[in-house]
Amino acid sequence: MALPLSYSLRSLFARRLRTALTVGVIALVVVATTLFLGLISSLQRTLRTTGSPRNLIVMRKGSSNDGSSQLPLEALQNIRFFEGIAHDAAGNPIISPELIVQPFFLRKDGGRENVLVRGVEPAAALAVHDEVRITEGRIFEPSAGEALVGRGVAGRYRGAQLGETLDFGRGRWKVVGSFESGGTSFESEVWVDVRELANDAKRPFPYSSFRLTAAPGADVDALARRIADDPRHALEAQPETAYYAKQAESANTLYVLVVGLAVLAGIGAVFGATNTLYAAVQARTAEIGTLRAIGFSRAAILTGFLVESLLTALLGFAVGGTLAWGLGILISWALGGVGFAAATFTTSVIELRVGASDLAAGLVLSLAVGLLGGFFPARRAAALRPVEALRKA
Amino acid sequence: MIRFLPLVWRNLGRNKTRSVLTGAAIALAIALVCVLRTMPAGLDNLLASITANTRISVHNEAGIVYALPYSYLQKVRSVPGVVAATSWTWFGGAFEEEKGVTFPNFAVDADSIGPVYQDLGIAPEALEAFRRQRDSALVGRQTLEKYHWKVGDRVTLKSTVFPVDLEIQIVGEIPLANDPRLWLQREYLSQALEAQGSHFDLINMVWARVDEPERVNDVMRTIDELFRNSEAETASETEKSFFGNLFGNLQGFVTVILLVTGMVTLCIVFIAANTASMSIRERVGELAVMKALGFRWRTLFWLLILEAGLLAAVSGAAGVAITLGLARALKNLAGWSPQLGPLASFLVTNAILVEGLFLALVIGIVSGVVPAFGASRRSVAATLREVF
Repeated sequence: MALPLSYSLRSLFARRLRTALTVGVIALVVVATTLFLGLISSLQRTLRTTGSPRNLIVMRKGSSNDGSSQLPLEALQNIRFFEGIAHDAAGNPIISPELIVQPFFLRKDGGRENVLVRGVEPAAALAVHDEVRITEGRIFEPSAGEALVGRGVAGRYRGAQLGETLDFGRGRWKVVGSFESGGTSFESEVWVDVRELANDAKRPFPYSSFRLTAAPGADVDALARRIADDPRHALEAQPETAYYAKQAESANTLYVLVVGLAVLAGIGAVFGATNTLYAAVQARTAEIGTLRAIGFSRAAILTGFLVESLLTALLGFAVGGTLAWGLGILISWALGGVGFAAATFTTSVIELRVGASDLAAGLVLSLAVGLLGGFFPARRAAALRPVEALRKA
Repeated sequence: MIRFLPLVWRNLGRNKTRSVLTGAAIALAIALVCVLRTMPAGLDNLLASITANTRISVHNEAGIVYALPYSYLQKVRSVPGVVAATSWTWFGGAFEEEKGVTFPNFAVDADSIGPVYQDLGIAPEALEAFRRQRDSALVGRQTLEKYHWKVGDRVTLKSTVFPVDLEIQIVGEIPLANDPRLWLQREYLSQALEAQGSHFDLINMVWARVDEPERVNDVMRTIDELFRNSEAETASETEKSFFGNLFGNLQGFVTVILLVTGMVTLCIVFIAANTASMSIRERVGELAVMKALGFRWRTLFWLLILEAGLLAAVSGAAGVAITLGLARALKNLAGWSPQLGPLASFLVTNAILVEGLFLALVIGIVSGVVPAFGASRRSVAATLREVF
């Protein structure tokens, strides 16, 4: 016969301070781990969801990002007529020539950051980047000193709200609209007219990169190879998703760091939980002897204590998970997103969200702590011989 | 109190499992706190290591990626108060192509590096070699250690900005522990580009040294005034302000790190407090007997505190040792990255280790105070009645 669940539950409340401290330790480990994990996975999600597998980014060969690539006008004219590029209703190829500049922006708190400003042609950009939705205002008019800002930019910098004037580069730009792109890294960008930007930045080459959409059914990789093999310009093409995934790789170091942190903190919590339960077994020796004497089996005692430990861990997870989730929202709200430096030396604004997978990792961690921390004390309890245990009373 | 040390030590050994478990838990947590602290400390350390308050950066007012004409270098040099000036141009060289840029590298004016950076302690022979040898480079200690490079080694950097690969020979070290920079000769890059038929007359920024700290503000104003209404207006700032701004976008991440560090610290408090309360509670009978024998309650109180403190101190020391190993592993794994900058240098400073030890000690003592106070103040009669 197994011990009733209420036995384990009520035992937890017998020594409230001790239970609370153990729950506290597990909760803190869960908060620390899930919060950190949430931050890294938010960063990775932002980068990994950016771009489309049907879109190619074309850069100068050897450039690691479009911030350091330079392309001449002739390259665009050549590429436009490549087979395999999608066409719009009017029969024009869907290709967006873009220029990346990283000017200073002033944060609302006074700090200074490089922000990615993307010069684009309005219609082409919206056709290629079909995940971009203008939520407020409208797209900029060419050569009118107007700018469209991403959601992350709007909240973080001075003068970036709709109707305000942004001061960057050599000119002043009126914010006429803001856009969302499903939490991708485009939301940390400002979009302006590509020719205006090239003038402002006095760039020797008009473009940094081209983004193009492959025609339905066309082989994306074959198209990329054809562009790379073109002898006229030293170009390189890769799917947008691969480009952003590569940038996400740099977050892998952080992932290793966080997992290492979680394991170490988890081991610490296991030690703490083991201690508490050992003390509980010691204090309840007589009680265990009695249980054994009235017929509960060793297995029942073992399970009972394990359940007690798992309940502690679950309680810790519940407290810690809730706290981490709330803190995530609080931090994002207080800081207007967490900034990271991107490969283009600009700032990516990440919305810190402790998601289901982060919480799941926290749950696994706390259950592992409960199981490992409970195992040895539970085994000791089960190994007690009833006669000796009762004699101690 | 010292004569009671053997007693305290034996008390710790009474429940060995518990002492070891608690000690290990505290040691791990201290190690975590220390390792996490190395991240913001990498940034603080960088800013603190900028001891020269006379070095200023001159860059385009619009941003660092907005280039300046090379001629600006000469113009800055001619400003009264400027002792020496050199230019920096981001080379963006990748050592292992697939990994991208793993340390910041710049093309600089080799002749003026010595006078502009006289405070860095670069060996005069190294500076001389850097000036004379076209394909030479000076490399920061962090990067030298990361790739196990030695002075004299030749490496090839593939630029992600310019269409060139340059083979360079390392001729000297920039002797700062967490300095990832690599400097190569601007002239070398310039010749390589001209060989391809392109003209290279832009720079990212000028670094200048001013003769007197009091003149810095005036000189910066003069320089910015000089280029007002020109093709590229400049913004000058001190080196400290420049690097502070450069990594300012990491503040949010630092906040999260500090928060997590705080939680792990709180964990140590809980673990230590739990153990102290358990081991003292089990010993109330014994404490009552000791009191009955004539030990004063103060003595007993301090004995218990000493016990908690000793355990914490020993664990703290172990935690510090773990930190050293962990940081070394992380350093090899990560090092400088464009995303994290100095946060990923995992530089363990003595201050971090001392703070870790101190933290362990304080937590140990504090966690023992409440239960020790309670136990040592209990009335003998009441306790003994309960126990027997």
